[in-house]
Amino acid sequence: MKKVLYIELENCIGCRSCLAACTQCGGHEERNRNYVIDVNPFVDRQTMPMMCLHCENPPCARSCPVQAIQVHETGAVLSAMTEKCLGCQNCTIACPYGIPKFDVEQNLMYKCDLCIDRTKDGIPPMCASVCPTDTLQWVTEEELAVKKSQFRLSNGMMASMEDPYLENKTNVHVSLPGILEGKEKLF
Amino acid sequence: MNSEVKQTQPSIQRAFASRYAMNMFFTILILFILSYVGSRMFTHMDLNLYGYMVGTLVFLFGLFYRFLSWSERPPAKLMIQKGKKLVFRKRTAQTTTNDIGLQRFIWNRGLYRWFQHMMMGWGVIISCFVTFPLVFGWMYFTMDDNGFYTVVFMGLNLLTISADGFLAFLFYNSLNITAIMVITGASMAIYRRLKNMQARAEQTVIFDFMPLYMLLFVSITGLLLTVSNVFFHGFLQPELSLVHQFSVIVTLIYLPFGKLAHIPMRPLGIYVKNYREHYAKESMKKCKVCNNEFVSTEQSNDVISVLNQNEIQFKKEEGFHLAELCLPCRRNYRISKFSGVKTHLTKAKEANQDARG
Repeated sequence: MKKVLYIELENCIGCRSCLAACTQCGGHEERNRNYVIDVNPFVDRQTMPMMCLHCENPPCARSCPVQAIQVHETGAVLSAMTEKCLGCQNCTIACPYGIPKFDVEQNLMYKCDLCIDRTKDGIPPMCASVCPTDTLQWVTEEELAVKKSQFRLSNGMMASMEDPYLENKTNVHVSLPGILEGKEKLF
Repeated sequence: MNSEVKQTQPSIQRAFASRYAMNMFFTILILFILSYVGSRMFTHMDLNLYGYMVGTLVFLFGLFYRFLSWSERPPAKLMIQKGKKLVFRKRTAQTTTNDIGLQRFIWNRGLYRWFQHMMMGWGVIISCFVTFPLVFGWMYFTMDDNGFYTVVFMGLNLLTISADGFLAFLFYNSLNITAIMVITGASMAIYRRLKNMQARAEQTVIFDFMPLYMLLFVSITGLLLTVSNVFFHGFLQPELSLVHQFSVIVTLIYLPFGKLAHIPMRPLGIYVKNYREHYAKESMKKCKVCNNEFVSTEQSNDVISVLNQNEIQFKKEEGFHLAELCLPCRRNYRISKFSGVKTHLTKAKEANQDARG
């Protein structure tokens, strides 16, 4: 059954377990590819995770002159292929979310590949496996539909809707901080 | 509309049905002329290598097909156009030595990987430099009764060497030496791919292992020819030479389409480096939010234009394109979209994002 990564931003407590877990995934060569950002650094301690949202039409791949960035059949946008990447860094400039990282020494771009080694076999990505607050979740599409419906208020309004807050359609789904209808959250 | 487009093309292009046809025609024509000159009017063609010649032509068809269709993609087209203009920069020689000759960037990925790649890479390249001139008659050897070989290159007597001297030894054994290099490198690569957990995570048999098996197939059958000649008085030599020919031709035909396609593609890395260095010197783009310089103005504009051609527009209501923001500001901008807090306008350095501290 197809599962997707789902992010409930408001749950993040800034523990950075996702960063540490990311380094441990096969193929990541002990380098993390995700970010935890302070939302309002001089005011409060709220953080939010930022990671590749795996666009359906990825600008990074579109801007790559050598087609080094491939899209996996699961929809995951992979890191640059080592033998192809020429190190032009077009992808880092094209990404609307500022995700790809670049190793100057190795002349190689690397980015979140949704732990393709795991997710291709249905195993959750490392970040979702370790997130203690369910900020990062690995859910089926049915579960995702239920979660989304919880954000639909009974007055017909959407309390939290991702589309206007993203640039394009993505394979990772984001739930903005919002009001939940008829549901008490643990965190 | 079509006729208008055609009229803007140079007249030579209008003589051909497509760019592909034109490139193929001229390549074969040049090969023909070179062979004519090199083999002294086709009097020194080695017909034993005829199969390789046909294989090479099929390889060229594949190579042109693959690379011309690839070079039409907007980002590739831009990079090639601009790279071409910058190819005579002073730094080109240095970049070529470091990136192609010494493969420094692989050194930075680890000594083991560097060594295996140097062995395979240079083994393959030297083999090509030896084989193609022999196949097309650009280089051959003549010998008088005086114990000296004359190396003839492009129809000219290049040098005369003692038949049992060191140079002659290198000439006779060049393909044996490169075969050993490739076998060493490919075996190391296979071992790494079997043992290394990082490599195992992402590799596939067809994409990552098959090219290595093919290189081994070519090198081992080639080396067996020598073994047969030296140790077994040419036992099975005709059969082995056919098997070797088959292995080379199949590898050549496969080359432009699989992992090995990076061999002809990699020299473009020089274009890329020139492009980045040259335009970075000209003018740097300042981030529209934090004012830090993060990339050359030219590249930022190029990426915006490439995205436009792909119908991807990231023009924001704040008046900037997202490609005009540095990476931390772009991340912060997204967070501001998520949270409603103007994170990207807060003058705070982004927290350390490296899990190793």
